[in-house]
Amino acid sequence: MSENRTFFRETVERILADTLDKAAIDAAEERRLPSSLYDALVENGITLMLVPEDKGGIGASVGDAAVILRAAGEAAAPGPLLETMLGQRLLADAGIDLTDGLLSLVFVDDSAIPAEGETEWRDAAIHDVPWSEAVSHVLVVARSDSGARLLLTQADGWTVTPVSDAAGEPRDTLTAASIPVVSATLGDYDALLRTASILRGAQILGAIEWSFRRSVEYAGERKQFGREISKFQAVQQMLAELADHVLASAGITEAAAEGLNASLAAAARSRLGDAADAAILITHQVHGAMGFSLEYALNSRTRRLMAWRDDYGSVLHWRRALAGNFAGLTRETFWPAVSDAGLPGAA
Amino acid sequence: MTATSLHLELPTLTPEAETLRQEVRAFIAEERSSGRLPPPHRIGLGFDREMTKRIAAKGWIGLTWPRQYGGQERSALERYVMNEELLAAAVPVGAHWVADRQSGPVLLKFGTDEQRRFYLPKIAAGDLTFSIGMSEPESGSDLASLKARAEKVDGGWRINGRKIWTTNAHRAQYMIVLVRTSTVEGSRHAGLSQLIVDLAAPGVTISPIISMAGEHDFNEVLLEDVVVPDDALIGKEGNGWNQVSAELAYERSGPERWLSSFRLISELVDVLGPDARAASLEELGRLISHLLSLRQLSMSVASMIQQGQSPNVEASIVKDLGTKFEQEAVRVVRNIVSAEDLISNGRAERLKALLIHAQQYAPAFTIRGGTNEILRGIIARGIGLR
Ligand SMILES: Cc1cc2nc3c(=O)[nH]c(=O)nc-3n(C[C@H](O)[C@H](O)[C@H](O)COP(=O)(O)OP(=O)(O)OC[C@H]3O[C@@H](n4cnc5c(N)ncnc54)[C@H](O)[C@@H]3O)c2cc1C
Repeated sequence: MSENRTFFRETVERILADTLDKAAIDAAEERRLPSSLYDALVENGITLMLVPEDKGGIGASVGDAAVILRAAGEAAAPGPLLETMLGQRLLADAGIDLTDGLLSLVFVDDSAIPAEGETEWRDAAIHDVPWSEAVSHVLVVARSDSGARLLLTQADGWTVTPVSDAAGEPRDTLTAASIPVVSATLGDYDALLRTASILRGAQILGAIEWSFRRSVEYAGERKQFGREISKFQAVQQMLAELADHVLASAGITEAAAEGLNASLAAAARSRLGDAADAAILITHQVHGAMGFSLEYALNSRTRRLMAWRDDYGSVLHWRRALAGNFAGLTRETFWPAVSDAGLPGAA
Repeated sequence: MTATSLHLELPTLTPEAETLRQEVRAFIAEERSSGRLPPPHRIGLGFDREMTKRIAAKGWIGLTWPRQYGGQERSALERYVMNEELLAAAVPVGAHWVADRQSGPVLLKFGTDEQRRFYLPKIAAGDLTFSIGMSEPESGSDLASLKARAEKVDGGWRINGRKIWTTNAHRAQYMIVLVRTSTVEGSRHAGLSQLIVDLAAPGVTISPIISMAGEHDFNEVLLEDVVVPDDALIGKEGNGWNQVSAELAYERSGPERWLSSFRLISELVDVLGPDARAASLEELGRLISHLLSLRQLSMSVASMIQQGQSPNVEASIVKDLGTKFEQEAVRVVRNIVSAEDLISNGRAERLKALLIHAQQYAPAFTIRGGTNEILRGIIARGIGLR
């Protein structure tokens, strides 16, 4: 790991340890943002880390950001961290100046957006919008004929219908009869979605890793029939199977965050989908009734896995996309394509 | 090791490795165009002495071994790249596979200079096939309970016992057996030794066992008063268990642990064409994602081994995941074949044959080389549960 990256990670791990406790995680379910966490993240430049240096950011890579978000996922950090980090980068790319505030971000593939040059969005509706009441602006990345368009809206211009995700975090429906927009052209929609998806993937990975570690510890603490449940082969086999998932999904997620080619990113989210499913089942099974109580911390990770699993392209979406990259190849050309796709940096 | 210390390093392939990959692809293309490598109808490593000789002529057997023993002193990652290319193209490599992967390295690590000089160049030349004589009728997963014995006689050892499931014993010149040579109070693992048996020696009886896939690949090998010379002993008398443990680690994380049914997937992709149903693409995409992630892990382990680390738990994870993937691939291909009605319209005779054989073969994936339950026991210990 590069020096920079280690520094980022240690900084964020320290911030998370200092500012985020169980009460702050739980408060997110009452729509209260853990503000001391976000104050510290903003203060340390983390929210602007993906913004190029000449535009006031740190100029970090997606791989660097993935390391931060993995730590955030481990800690079950609530709030629009990914959305702000990526949103700020998109604003910088689009040449739009904004303060260092928090942002919400949604991708829309097929909904009606205002025509180019329009400054009003009439009969606007967007769904699944994270933390719209806690941010200054809501960004919409929309597929367009030329690639993608970025729409910048004022968060308080929307009418909010509160909806929560499986972790209890806000994912609202926003509507407006008419709302002012600043819009700009961005590059390839699918490439942007891929970046968002791999960053969410890093959070998923972090939550899986925490749940795994906690379950191994718990198995060594909990005693039944006069011994630790870790001594039962059935428990060992379940956790070994989860270890498989953890290692496999970590490898492909790291490779995707470095290489970011279309196949690696799709493969990572597909693989993480299976790993998340296994983590939810196995960590709860190992914990017995204890894990089923709201009080116990396991559900703060497993419910986030439920919430995040299909974000920025569902698991099935990425599977179709991945297979689509190889469909039509022959028995001779299939392997070279798989093999080349599997190397970071490949197209 | 604890749960937090599962470890991975992203591999970087050197330019030499990529050059070698292109050389292997060129070799495969030539074999194909000359008709010596027809698309396969079966799963498995195959057995083709002539192919092994041609691979040896390229210098690709014993690739990592010292030059003085016929090797090329190339890296473990280069060997990894070569192997994945050969396996993905279904090149029959069974005549040298075990000798290259296991028997040679054991001799290199524990053998005498004389043993290395005698066996390794012949292996590298593609002339020797080795078998592994570990399992016995009463000792499978519990290998240390084995009963075959060797007693010291003048100038050598006299072996008695019965080995089973011995792959290629009927085609190989040599078998490395694990036998008990002494009894050590309080330790089942001490007192075992590895001996090289010439399979043509008097007292060796090899009887075929036909697999449920209809093939004669493995055998029962009866050893009755088989006398081998002193220099048939590998390493130290009584140290066999440690040697075998090292040996088994070599065989856990290689591409043969996740590519066994790859030819079935590539055949499906070929037959399926560009216009598949969404549900088929979803299943296929899932399979490819597991393939890519396994490859990532397998490369990482090869790269960590090359750096002198011993990622034993990670290697066991590759084998547990890889072999389950190989079975899963058969199920998925079968489902896509029926959903897309690929076979009944007659355009997929080869796929049909491959699928039948793969289904018959698949149960072995999670048994051979140590069952997945035993592997998960190793993983559980590695993450601190036992
Ligand atoms: C195709 C093929 C080729 C082979 N080639 C060779 C070869 O060349 N040389 C050689 O020596 N051997 C070879 N083998 C044998 C192989 O190594 C053994 O099959 C394997 O070690 C398992 O032993 P077993 O078959 O006796 O199963 P058993 O040990 O009887 O196991 C039966 C079942 O019980 C489970 N089980 C056993 N013990 C435990 C435990 N402690 N905890 C949980 N579950 C347990 C197993 O996981 C398995 O599911 C080959 C096998 C196959 C299928």
